[in-house]
Amino acid sequence: MPIIPAELVHSGGMPTAAELEAKLLAGQTLLADTREHLIEVVDVLKSYGEVLDAYSTNLIFQAEHQFLVPVPLFKYLDGEKSPAKIWRHLNHDRINFEYAEYCMKAMLWHGTGGLDAYLDSAAFAENCAVIIRRKTRRDPLLALLHPLFSGFLIEMIRTAATTHALGQFWRVMSDLFLDLARAEADGSVASIEAVVEFIKDGLVAAAANPITYGVEVAGENLWVLPPEAGLTFLVDVAVPYVEAVFLRGLPFLGTVSFNAQAQQISPDQAKFAYGALFADPLPTMGAGIPPSLLMQDMFRHLPQRLDGLYRKRTRGEGDVRVKICMSFQKSMFCVTNAAIRGTFPHPLNSPEPAAREANRAYAAAWAARLAAARTDCLDPLP
Amino acid sequence: MPMLSILLLIPFAGALALVLWPGQLPPGRLRAVALVVLGLQLAWSLIVLARFDPTSSAMQLQEALPWVSGLGLEYRLGVDGLSMPLVLINGALTLVSAICTRDISQRPRIYFALLLVISGAVNGAFLAENLLLFFLFYELELIPLWALISIWGGANRAYAATKFLIFTAVSGILILGAFLGLALATGTVDFSLTPVSSEQLAMGSQLLLLGALLIGFGIKVPLFPFHNWLPDAHTQASTPVSVLLAGVLLKLGTYGLLRFCLGLFPEAWAQLAPGLAIWAAVSVLFGSLAAIAQKDMKRMVAYSSVGHMGYILLAAAAATPVAILGAVFQMVSHGLISALLFLLVGIVYRKTGTRDLTVLHGLLNPERGLPFTGTLMILGVMASAGMPGMAGFISEFMVFRGSISAYPLATLLSMLGSGLTAVYFLLLVNRAFFGRLAITPATDPVAHGRLDVRLAPVAPRETIPATGLAMAVVAIGLLPAGLGRLSESTSTAIAQLPALVSALQLAAAPLWGLQPGGLG
Amino acid sequence: MSASSLSLPIQLVWIIPLYGFSGMLLSLPWAAGWFKRNGPRPAAYLNLLVTLLAVIHGSLILQQVWQLGPQHLEFPWFQAADLDLRIGFDLSLTNLAALELVTGLSLLGQVYALGYLDKEWSLARFYALVGFFEGALAGVVLSSSLFMSYFLLEMLTLSTYLLVGFWYAQPLVVTAARDAFLTKRVGDVLLLMGMVALSAWAGSMEFQDLYVWAAEADASGALTPLAGTLLGLGMIAGPMGKCAQFPMHLWLDEAMEGPNPASILRNSVVVTAGALVLMKVMPLLRFSPLATTVLLVVGTISALAGALVAIAQVDIKRAFSYSTTSYLGLVFIAIALQQPAIALLLLFAHGLSKALLFMSVGSIIATTNCQDLTELGGLGSRMPATTSAYLVGSAGLVGLLPLGCFWCFGLLVETFAHQQPFFAAVCLLTNALTAFNLTRVYRHVFLGPSMPKTKRAPEVNWLMALPMVSLTVLVALMPALMGRLDPVPGIASFSLPVAIAVVSSGLVGVAGGAVAPLHKFWSRSLLQPLRVLQDLLASDFYTDRIYRATIVAAVAGLARLSDWLDSRVVNGLVNGIGRLSLASADGLKLGVSGQLQSYLLTVVLAIVLLLASLQWLEWLHG
Repeated sequence: MPIIPAELVHSGGMPTAAELEAKLLAGQTLLADTREHLIEVVDVLKSYGEVLDAYSTNLIFQAEHQFLVPVPLFKYLDGEKSPAKIWRHLNHDRINFEYAEYCMKAMLWHGTGGLDAYLDSAAFAENCAVIIRRKTRRDPLLALLHPLFSGFLIEMIRTAATTHALGQFWRVMSDLFLDLARAEADGSVASIEAVVEFIKDGLVAAAANPITYGVEVAGENLWVLPPEAGLTFLVDVAVPYVEAVFLRGLPFLGTVSFNAQAQQISPDQAKFAYGALFADPLPTMGAGIPPSLLMQDMFRHLPQRLDGLYRKRTRGEGDVRVKICMSFQKSMFCVTNAAIRGTFPHPLNSPEPAAREANRAYAAAWAARLAAARTDCLDPLP
Repeated sequence: MPMLSILLLIPFAGALALVLWPGQLPPGRLRAVALVVLGLQLAWSLIVLARFDPTSSAMQLQEALPWVSGLGLEYRLGVDGLSMPLVLINGALTLVSAICTRDISQRPRIYFALLLVISGAVNGAFLAENLLLFFLFYELELIPLWALISIWGGANRAYAATKFLIFTAVSGILILGAFLGLALATGTVDFSLTPVSSEQLAMGSQLLLLGALLIGFGIKVPLFPFHNWLPDAHTQASTPVSVLLAGVLLKLGTYGLLRFCLGLFPEAWAQLAPGLAIWAAVSVLFGSLAAIAQKDMKRMVAYSSVGHMGYILLAAAAATPVAILGAVFQMVSHGLISALLFLLVGIVYRKTGTRDLTVLHGLLNPERGLPFTGTLMILGVMASAGMPGMAGFISEFMVFRGSISAYPLATLLSMLGSGLTAVYFLLLVNRAFFGRLAITPATDPVAHGRLDVRLAPVAPRETIPATGLAMAVVAIGLLPAGLGRLSESTSTAIAQLPALVSALQLAAAPLWGLQPGGLG
Repeated sequence: MSASSLSLPIQLVWIIPLYGFSGMLLSLPWAAGWFKRNGPRPAAYLNLLVTLLAVIHGSLILQQVWQLGPQHLEFPWFQAADLDLRIGFDLSLTNLAALELVTGLSLLGQVYALGYLDKEWSLARFYALVGFFEGALAGVVLSSSLFMSYFLLEMLTLSTYLLVGFWYAQPLVVTAARDAFLTKRVGDVLLLMGMVALSAWAGSMEFQDLYVWAAEADASGALTPLAGTLLGLGMIAGPMGKCAQFPMHLWLDEAMEGPNPASILRNSVVVTAGALVLMKVMPLLRFSPLATTVLLVVGTISALAGALVAIAQVDIKRAFSYSTTSYLGLVFIAIALQQPAIALLLLFAHGLSKALLFMSVGSIIATTNCQDLTELGGLGSRMPATTSAYLVGSAGLVGLLPLGCFWCFGLLVETFAHQQPFFAAVCLLTNALTAFNLTRVYRHVFLGPSMPKTKRAPEVNWLMALPMVSLTVLVALMPALMGRLDPVPGIASFSLPVAIAVVSSGLVGVAGGAVAPLHKFWSRSLLQPLRVLQDLLASDFYTDRIYRATIVAAVAGLARLSDWLDSRVVNGLVNGIGRLSLASADGLKLGVSGQLQSYLLTVVLAIVLLLASLQWLEWLHG
């Protein structure tokens, strides 16, 4: 057996479900509260906030202005077709909007929560019928395809609706993360505990924001997600997003075989565990690892302080995007932590036994899922 | 101007200067001096190349000084199409091995001096036109190499170094014995490179002397079953020494086979040739099969040398112009490719602390692994496996093409060895470079999947020598004409040693190798 | 022919393979990560550009060759002693049509990849590999010499290895890439053996010279039957590996672990290139009736077993990759029975249709994140481009509607019906089985209620849809293209009964596929004998286990034996001798502390020895 130098490998601890549950019920943060963690989380969320700002703007632009366009050649340009921008686009000197679409597809495909339920409702079908009628009148290609493939346009409208809803969700999150960075800069947030509390407050404040989406077809404004559908920020979009992107995710072609005979992927989507909290950061920027796009985007927006911190670790600039991914995972645990904290059925300090039991069950359900996640990132670095 | 003596003077004077330089010099300064000296040597080799006339098959730029004339020991140097590429390889690879010596803190002065002595001695051996002079240089290279292994080697270095010493000493004694025996038997003290004919010496004595030479050089090449010292020497030697050993020193053995075994005893050689071809095939297959079973990357590369050097014996046995030229190509390409592989294994070892294929995984990882090293490794193993477009292919093709008519079975078996090369090197690449990055045994998949691996980065300058070698390997593979022109006349001349041709016509297979009875 | 009298595009034909290779070099800066802030897409655009140039250059040459007739160009590469290796191009209509197929599909596949791999950060490496792949392929189809064909086929093997190994961190990819390389390598080494022998015997490596030599050698009986047979088997081994024929077909199944855009090319043009090489070496098989028999046997087994195994697959990619083996089996039969023109038409029709099917498959995988047929369903009404591509691709592949393969089957059956009715039956049976498989998959994927993983299935992005639609149109127009490729005697030169037989076999297959029970949750039959058969087919006759029990075990055993021999016997002997000669066992384990002393001792010993021997000589002659 060869002797591997200890400094070359490191394995973080893996807390049990019971430990996680205890932490959640005690109102403690999952992530260890250290100065380095604070810098990592706040700064990585700051860069994430800037990236989300671009993602959000583009998703909303796509949903509103590239609606049912057959060849959306300029969909990533946000309507600005200057030669300089096109050159930057061709040179790939840009945000990777493909990752935003990837998250949207994950949400659409996993299909959980209120938004997805509405996409199957009769009211939605009616809206679609109106839109399609107007659209096909002007567009002979769609007029030909629609009778032959009756589900085609509806599915595209569902996609556009999810795109727009995700854009709205990220708008809130972007602002929240940038606010967090400002709050940390002026000293009002100085611990991981405060970070979690700040995010929780932000989520709670936005919880009831309405989610609506209308399109302009042939000069007429039509609703896709009307206000009367009553879709709201937290339960209809944020929760399905967390489910689809943080928890379930999609298997990466670079690490999981899609071969049906190998049966590596569960037939039950609810059993998927490929999301942001479960993914292995080490292969970041390797082949077949979609989050690499996000890490690259955040790398382009990396705050100086975090960059300085990374330069002192492992390979410095050489493996910076793996380190971003590791910090990102920590910060996503903080966001999850805040979301769980904000959605407990009862206040944590409630003396009622029934309320305490309900909270315990809620915490246990989360802890069971998180126990298999990459909780090894929660400990401080040695 | 004594063109060739300067090729000896530069490294020897450099070594002397390093040893005698007064005062305490830091290792970096010593390395710089060695690099300058080796750079000069390589530059001078290129000047010699410029003066070299590739159209002539004779010894060129000859120099002669009487030394101990009564003994037949004469200082006589010359260069031809066989030695010219080897001198260049020696210059290039010694420079490479000095460049990739970075962390010598222990007795750096002696280390670099020994490196220079080896380079000079190897030049001397390739250029010597006198048997005793060759032997002097052949022995001169032995002791420094032994010291390099036994002082700067791995944990088990004493064993490996001693084994190397004993084997090579036996090799030296056999060679010297054969040379002296030749003098004794022919009754002359003329130690020049003149072929011996059967009028001068009875065939029985010829076979005896040739046998001694074959074993002597077979140890150096090395050929099965005399290869046993090589894997141990490689695993214990440091990377630069392995580069030198595989890239340059083994070539002394194959050079000896062509120059002295075939060159001095063409008739006896022709008699033994069918057996030699089978010996070559056995060596190729044995080396390749043993390589498959290895778990240590360096041992695997070492066994691959046993396999790939066997091709040269095959080519020498066939002794057609194309085969001999193929042998020269194979010496050059094996020198470059094995040096490249040892450099890369060295990088992996330096970064991970292990060469064990059961614990290394996923080194291609772009951010935390060794992706560029891995890319070069894929290139290197493919070159070694005879992938077209790289030096290994054209060399092997010529060896096989030149040998198949004479020895079909041995050639086909050797080609099988070429196929096996792909097997073991693919195992190496797939195990160590594909998969998730880790340097632990993959026993517990959960723990394995969570392991954070923090290997030190590979600085670009660390891969410069390997990149250079890789480019040379591709260049020779795509444009072999240059090397071909350099060696064609000489290899054709070697293949047409008059006595050999007549003997071959008597003894060996008919031209249509696959005619009845030809196969096998 | 003096080169200067030819037009510039023809004179510059040597650039054609270089387009692909230059694409690889152009991608390197991005693939190597030299641009830290910018993404890898420019590499993709540059590759698209050079491929487009290759298409244009190829069509210019095609146009001129159409008028001037076939051309041959040669460039010296390496000459030494009696070895003369040249780079030669045969510009015949056949080769140029194949070139257009290669470059055209490569172009479409590259656009498709831009959509399929839109979230792939290693895009530049992918395009570099595709460029390498395309360059080698373009060279193989134009090559006029066996040496150059071998040279490029091996490069193709390497690029297949690298493309299959593209997602190198995925565990199954690791074994798949290795097996793909080694299986092809077995074929390549056998081909190398044949080629080296030919080179030694015939001198020149140009196919035309080899044909002349073969005719002379055959007439004079210069080659023993054994040599001729071995030569023939060596020649067909390479194409057998490349065309994934039984028993060297396993790699194609495993290669499905690679990215789908590469699968598109692999199932269409790589196998075509392999078959083209087989056509070129066919005249050399005249020494070897056995080789022709082997071709027929292998072709028949591949055609039927491939089609049967395809039916038993639950993985959508594998259901079609085995069908590739099956169709190439038919091509092998056609070539072995001296019908190169029909073989060529079949390659062309199969290549385009299979590429289209694989594009459709890629869309399904991209949308549903799933390759398991039992988890798919109900996509038909929602994905117009994908569904049309599947339907048109299937129609192009099966002899039923008058698209590509219908005419090929007609010609094949017409040709074989009288002399070799058995092979006519093989063709019809393959057609029926393929139709069955395609109908079965269609029902699984496109019909029925939507399944959990297909509940939300929007059509793919335009970068995938556009090439798919273009190719759909092309496949629909294929009979017209085939008619131009084979004007005499025309693609419709078969009788009405033959046409009826072909259509009936297709209909039987479709009908069978339409009524066969489909199990969504139960892919295995409840009937014991049927289940055994199903398992046998689903696991491809357990070929991988047979390999493991035979070749792999043999090589591993020999390797262990060699290692044992070395570490125990040879090493033991050496240590024993060492112990004896050094009188003490410690001699071999010289302590580090004693190094300097022993160093000096040895130096002194060596010098003494040398001087003594010199002295002895002096004495001898003194």
